[in-house]
Amino acid sequence: MSPFTRRDVLRAAGTVAVVGAATASVGAPSALSAPVTAGPFRHGVASGDPLPGGVLLWTRVTPSNESLPGSGAGPEVTVTWEVSNSPEFRRIVSRGSTATGPWRDHTVKVDATGLEPATTYWYRFRMGKVVSPVGRTRTAPASGAPVDGLRIGVVSCANLQAGWFSSYRHLAAHPDLDLVLHLGDYLYEYAPGEYQARDVVVRPHDPAIEMTVLEHYRRRHAQYKQDADLQALHAVAPFVVTWDDHESANDAWSGGAENHTEGTEGAWQARRAAAQQAYAEWMPVRYDAGGQLYRRLTFGSLASLSMLDLRTYRDEQASGPTDPAVDDPARSITGEAQMDWLLNGLSSQDAQWKLVGNPVMITPIRFPSTLSTAELGAMQQLLGTTTIDGVPYNVDQWDGYAADQSRVLRHLRDRAISDTVFLTGDIHSGWACDLPADPATYPVNGNSVGVELVCTSVTSDNLDDILRVPPRTASLSVESAFKANNPQVKYLDFDSHGYSVLNVTPAGLRMDWYVLTERTDPRSTVARSQSWQVAAGTQKVTPAGGQA
Amino acid sequence: MNNTSSSVNGPLSVNQEATRRQILRWGAMGGAAVILSGAPGAAWAKPKGPQERVRAYVLVVDGCRPDEITPALTPRLAALRGSGTTYPAARSLPVMETIPNHVMMMTGARPDRTGVPANKIYDRAEGVQRDLDRPTDLRFPTIIERLNQAGRTTGTVLSKEYLYGIFGERATYRWEPAPIVPVSGHAPDAATMDAIIAMVDAADPDLVFTNLGDVDRMGHSDLSGTTLQAARTAALASTDRQVGRFIDHLTATGKWDTSVLLVLADHSMDWSIPTNVISVDLILREREDLRSQVVIAQNGGADLLYWTGPAASRDSGLAEVSSLVAAHPGVLAVADPSSLRLGPEAGDLIATCRAGWRFSDPYVVSNPIPGNHGHPATEPIPFFISGGSPRVRAGVVSSEQARTIDVAPTLGFLFGMNAPAGGYDGTARSSAFTG
Repeated sequence: MSPFTRRDVLRAAGTVAVVGAATASVGAPSALSAPVTAGPFRHGVASGDPLPGGVLLWTRVTPSNESLPGSGAGPEVTVTWEVSNSPEFRRIVSRGSTATGPWRDHTVKVDATGLEPATTYWYRFRMGKVVSPVGRTRTAPASGAPVDGLRIGVVSCANLQAGWFSSYRHLAAHPDLDLVLHLGDYLYEYAPGEYQARDVVVRPHDPAIEMTVLEHYRRRHAQYKQDADLQALHAVAPFVVTWDDHESANDAWSGGAENHTEGTEGAWQARRAAAQQAYAEWMPVRYDAGGQLYRRLTFGSLASLSMLDLRTYRDEQASGPTDPAVDDPARSITGEAQMDWLLNGLSSQDAQWKLVGNPVMITPIRFPSTLSTAELGAMQQLLGTTTIDGVPYNVDQWDGYAADQSRVLRHLRDRAISDTVFLTGDIHSGWACDLPADPATYPVNGNSVGVELVCTSVTSDNLDDILRVPPRTASLSVESAFKANNPQVKYLDFDSHGYSVLNVTPAGLRMDWYVLTERTDPRSTVARSQSWQVAAGTQKVTPAGGQA
Repeated sequence: MNNTSSSVNGPLSVNQEATRRQILRWGAMGGAAVILSGAPGAAWAKPKGPQERVRAYVLVVDGCRPDEITPALTPRLAALRGSGTTYPAARSLPVMETIPNHVMMMTGARPDRTGVPANKIYDRAEGVQRDLDRPTDLRFPTIIERLNQAGRTTGTVLSKEYLYGIFGERATYRWEPAPIVPVSGHAPDAATMDAIIAMVDAADPDLVFTNLGDVDRMGHSDLSGTTLQAARTAALASTDRQVGRFIDHLTATGKWDTSVLLVLADHSMDWSIPTNVISVDLILREREDLRSQVVIAQNGGADLLYWTGPAASRDSGLAEVSSLVAAHPGVLAVADPSSLRLGPEAGDLIATCRAGWRFSDPYVVSNPIPGNHGHPATEPIPFFISGGSPRVRAGVVSSEQARTIDVAPTLGFLFGMNAPAGGYDGTARSSAFTG
């Protein structure tokens, strides 16, 4: 879509070192965790999409040596599941059994129902006499019920080749997570050497080629699911997920992707169908292949969570920020049906906080005019776009679909919808932004119609990696220029990797950003770097002090 | 009593006007006399009640936006909010105008049951556009009357003339707003607060229903509304001081510990620039056949449209009007008033504008004021329940979406009243109270 694509940048980067390729087996365990590396339940357990009366439970079984992910081989087997209100399983409150086999890559996904709202449960699977690891999950509060608080882990952009998933491990250690929100790029499509940690492949992808067909997508999911830190996080809280582009291919849109060559890499529709089938099989999500991913969950009267799909229905990206297509009202990032669904959901008065799981940024951002040539080049690489002063800086985001962006922000303003929070990933950087009611008067009156909070990447490259400088050095001037040119941006960190924790209460919400000391170190420590809050009814982000 | 002393409150005289009402002149702070009226036989020197007595004060800060209550700008209101139970998701209800929302507060019923959907309507029987400011316009029993019937006493201290008009003599004790600011038709908050204090001192009603109009009136006229909001900000600070006066007075007179304050707005405020004006009359000018058969009742951010042509062409005519009006870039929606439970008094169509726009009919210069309400952008309101009564839950923030219509049910809950015939349309915000 642009003259400078991520793939171009990678090719231009020259030699790529593959660290650990010879020593790290597929799914090499973290040095700090005890993963399930063998046996029928080697891909761990997970839960997702909690409702007041039930939750999805997931696992994958390997019943025989030939039942390898993507193989299409192996026997049909019956897997039973149990849910208890105690970790010792003293009383089973729900149980059942289901069949799986090679037709669904031996994955298991069941809807455990008949559960109590706002209740913590433990679950496990059995295949024959083999028992899976135990997972912990939690149901959503009852519809309309008062809720004192909700604690949500927020993550995105986890490239296994770019580092270790220490973010997941540290997030799993946070107490009382109600759920984990994964905003996309749960896995990456690239072959070893195509996209990693600067020039270093920390852990090579399996299969060792770009994933384009069902077998590839299944094997790649399986590789990620064998990561010990990811397994640990899945085991402590239900996930609510959406995909961004890399679950299929970079900069995907309804008819193709930047990282897809029609013909050479097959037909896009077939490739996307394969990606979606593997996603439906391997993720704890209420989604069937080819169906509708966008959906809404509610958490009593406190919050709704609208999960967007911004890849399946979007028109092709504009060629650049000055392309008139950016402003074409006929182009959409959501598609008409999803847009109507989103606007209706935002208007709903059933829940106080309208949280939106938003794969790409919606805050209008304009390029500063003060960046150096090197900084502009680095931004090109990070964003995969051309850079022209004073114009939208990333046409893969909502900025590239100005009509849809305006429609959402205008809807919030016209209807005076309060407490709307876009929770976003994709951009490998941390942001806290107001959403200006009117860009022309915002610098004077500060009127905002909502906020956007962006978590950074678990491992994927960001600005300092592209500039090849130490973190928090050269990027600082770029961040300052962005904030000066975009007063709605209150916090911006272009360098760090990590995760966020969102605490939601009736009085307000607070996001804490945690950053890793070193993503390529499996023992990386983590520290809280920033905290921002949104008081109820204000639609504005402000710095938060005190303890997380 | 020395009615010239700035430190003296007290009765100056009581007159009986035959059997219709009593008139009390009360010496207020600052030396002015407050004129209160009372129902026949109402006592002026009410003995103090038992300690468990509840005094309820509904303070409507007219037109206040929820984000305008801040520790810096309105410290007394902010402190009051922080020491009680607050509902940050609270909303006004259509039409987001003063009269219908005050009526919803005191009835707990939607306009299709009260007969009061807007400030201004087209009265088909009289063939005129007029404010709904007559006591007979309100056809649903208010919590005021029902409390009176239960043996309690009530008071109304309403700063706007049309509010005084529609609530009339329903309350045990009334204050007719004075002095009236020309054009705005309201009494300044300082005078209104004098009256509240005088009424509490003179009659000590169980319920006082109060409207403070300065914030709204300064909002309407604030030419810097889209940016600095200079006049509005000054009014907020001033009104906050008046609320502080009231709190201090309740404390000084020993009433605070039995007081419950329900503070809210009837609607908020939105500002537009002179070019963002919608004239439905102008839109219809190219279709004189339609224009001549439609009457417009203008309500700031909402226009009520009444079909006056032949019944046979009503549906097709309204469909065309709706289509033409909806096509204007400043129009947010054109709806059937029944979909908003507005009742027949609201006419045949309701058009609402987008944020940053206003209606102006019949001419684009007819509505010159920058601050308006009535459209959905003006729904968010502050709504909190506070006070010194131990029944108030302190420091609570609730996700419940309180609405103006919840006031009567909440007062009913507080005073142990049954719902009116047919029930409330609102919800008692019992989460604000212990026990």
